[in-house]
Amino acid sequence: MEEAAGDEGLEFKWGKKRRVGGKKKDVQFYESFTFDGDEYSLYDSVLVGDASEQDSHELFVAKIIKIWEHTNKRAKNPRQVKLLWFFRPSEISPHLLEGVQDVLANELFLASGEGPGLANVNPLEAICGKCSVVCISKDKRNPQPTDEEIKSADFVFRRAFDVGSSRVVDTIDDKIAGVDVTFLFNRAGSKQEATNVQKIQEDMNGSLDSLKLNSLPACVSVPETEDNSIESSDCRERSYGGEEGKEKGLSKLAEERSVKDSSVQESSAHGKEHDACEASGFRGNDCDGSKAQGSEVKKQFTKEKSLPAEARSSDTCDASGSRVKHSDSEKPQANDVKKPLTKQKSVSGGERYSKESNGLDDRPQKKQKLDGCDTDAFKRPRDKVTGDEVPPEKPSLVKKHRDLGVSVSERRDAKTAKKPSFDGKLLQRAEDETLGDDYERGYQVIEVKQKPDAGSSKQQMVSTSYFGQPWEESMREAEKEERVVLLQNLDPTYTSDEVQDIVYSALSEQSTARMIERTSVTISHTGEALVIFNSRQAAERAIRRLDKGCLLLSSGRPLVAVFAKINPPGKLSSFYGHTKLQKTQMRRETRDRVSTSRGSQPNTLEYVMAMEWYLHRARSDHAFQTVIKRQLEVKKSLRINFKAKLP
Amino acid sequence: MANPEEEEGEEEKYESFLSRVRRTVYVDELTPHASKSVVESAFSQFGTVKEVIFLPNYLGPKELPTGVLIEMESEQKAKAVIETVSQFPFMVAGMPRPVRASAARPAMFSDRPKKPGRRIQFRWVDPSDDEFDKAQRVKRLVRKHTAEAAFMIKKQLEEAEELAKQQSETVTTHHKKFELIDKLTHDGVAQELAGRYNMKCGPPYR
Repeated sequence: MEEAAGDEGLEFKWGKKRRVGGKKKDVQFYESFTFDGDEYSLYDSVLVGDASEQDSHELFVAKIIKIWEHTNKRAKNPRQVKLLWFFRPSEISPHLLEGVQDVLANELFLASGEGPGLANVNPLEAICGKCSVVCISKDKRNPQPTDEEIKSADFVFRRAFDVGSSRVVDTIDDKIAGVDVTFLFNRAGSKQEATNVQKIQEDMNGSLDSLKLNSLPACVSVPETEDNSIESSDCRERSYGGEEGKEKGLSKLAEERSVKDSSVQESSAHGKEHDACEASGFRGNDCDGSKAQGSEVKKQFTKEKSLPAEARSSDTCDASGSRVKHSDSEKPQANDVKKPLTKQKSVSGGERYSKESNGLDDRPQKKQKLDGCDTDAFKRPRDKVTGDEVPPEKPSLVKKHRDLGVSVSERRDAKTAKKPSFDGKLLQRAEDETLGDDYERGYQVIEVKQKPDAGSSKQQMVSTSYFGQPWEESMREAEKEERVVLLQNLDPTYTSDEVQDIVYSALSEQSTARMIERTSVTISHTGEALVIFNSRQAAERAIRRLDKGCLLLSSGRPLVAVFAKINPPGKLSSFYGHTKLQKTQMRRETRDRVSTSRGSQPNTLEYVMAMEWYLHRARSDHAFQTVIKRQLEVKKSLRINFKAKLP
Repeated sequence: MANPEEEEGEEEKYESFLSRVRRTVYVDELTPHASKSVVESAFSQFGTVKEVIFLPNYLGPKELPTGVLIEMESEQKAKAVIETVSQFPFMVAGMPRPVRASAARPAMFSDRPKKPGRRIQFRWVDPSDDEFDKAQRVKRLVRKHTAEAAFMIKKQLEEAEELAKQQSETVTTHHKKFELIDKLTHDGVAQELAGRYNMKCGPPYR
């Protein structure tokens, strides 16, 4: 019986379902699955290990033509795939190959006909990795591959091997092993980009040397500054030069460059992805030029690590919701699989950029705000952005949009030179005029009264339900449309109302705000609030202005604003610290959760474990408070005078 | 600006808010799986629970334990809760991680009324101002601090996970041992062995 090749808990996830079958309807067919970090789909070409000799270096190549799982648990190997084999020339006995012309080094023969050796059912875990097999047959039904594709493919095939008659045949039948031959030829959409050999076994060099590390350049994110990015992309180009199959890489690089030139840069929103790519980069390290890649990735990581102190936006990249990653958002990321997506974004980003440069004409931000009466000029009609609802997207996509937004706004900081020149003139004029006024009009008292509008009347503030459902819903909605901004460095004693007033008076935008509660896990000496604006432009404007200029509040704090990354709703699955009781213990305790809420006596195991948690808590608290104390000291040393020094 | 009547109204509101704060207990390290009713019944042993507010976790990591504000009927009751929970491990909806209780603070309420008589002022800082650079630095600092805090939290969570794993291992091994002994006594093997060695074998632990 075939054994699952080393299934030591490699991670697995099903993809798209197909249909249910089997005599007792206990078989579920699938279209794709993720196994050990790779995504496999039907008709993908894969590498399969030899079960009779473990760790043998001979990997077979096959195409997945069926994927299923027995849902009744009795099957020894519930997940199985049907594999249609490719024959390597070495697998065919030489006398059968006589008379077969031009067998290329990486040519395979597709199994066809009928008989043993055509296709097999295998446990899914026998699959060792993906590979790319390009069909170079001149058959009319076969979409012809480009030269680059041929060069960069792991294998090629154009002929078949009939297992019934044991002969190499030139023509490929209409149906092989019950599969329509269109699925066996190259895919029209050319899904070549998605195939990467990530798990390259060390000694597998023989047939897989020409393997490009397409995954690497995609996932390598270029560090912060412009100079750095150019330098490292040069690096990449060089390392590409050392590799076969580099055209593909170069074309991608060129595209990246053009994406950059259109002055839109992606930020690597996915810290996790980042890590995974890095890991894969290090794993697949056997080919020439791969060392250059590997060291380059390392170099960037050290660069990143050394720059957290200077990083301007530390919280634009992270997928897991925690705002740990330090570096700036100016990293172009051309991820292979997400290439179509990024393309789309770069286009839309470009449009947005031009729109914004127009928006700048309106006011130079240094111009002083007059109180209430003037805001009429700037007030925008409160437009309800209900029309163009963004279709529900996956959180990851939304995050990317957001980061794009941030990166756009941030790039404006970096590239002030690119701004239209009249803006500078405007600033100049404004400064001349209002320089004197600036200091006079230096202090503005916030308008306490806001125009109450239809949706939210602030007067019913005290009821706790105000921030219950209605806020949650409007926040989620706003999040989808990217109107939510995280305002930081507020005084922790401010209220949500006051924040709204501040936004109104200083940025002349209507908004709804919610102060984030100061708890044991948040920094106590600073306040934050989530602010929902009426439109994405309003949000962007606000962020831009707070970034470029400096809005100083009377407590001496300049406001900081970024697009907010909110955790997606839903129950969290993990909570550390609750261990499941064993069944005999369960019998003693009732299953009802309510009754398990109780204090514990010192003579039980629970008590001991509870003590351990106390210890953990004490340690974490202490560490956290130390950090906060230090932060406070640093802040104190950088205290800013609210009262301006008169000239 | 604000007429005296308004001021008074504000002050009253704020006072009642403050008394509400004093009656409220801030409980954290709670499992997110606990529902409102669970929490309510858990704490109703201390007295009537007037209100339970869950603090949402919008920005922190997903695995962060939940925090809850529990309003009791009086300040003393609140104090009693805090004392008891701090002295004895109190577990809600699962074991063995105990919850933590402390006095609530105004900053924990996102819907609080503002402090009466407070005026906020602001100004835009000119780039030519000396303070501008400082301000920009402060802004960067804020981001750095956020990242630091997030990192600390992450570390905390990682350690928690470690501990939890350890503990579950302990529980399972203990349980296995217990089962083993149980089985032996059940099967009478222990008694036999005791007889061989001329020792007494007591009744099975229940």
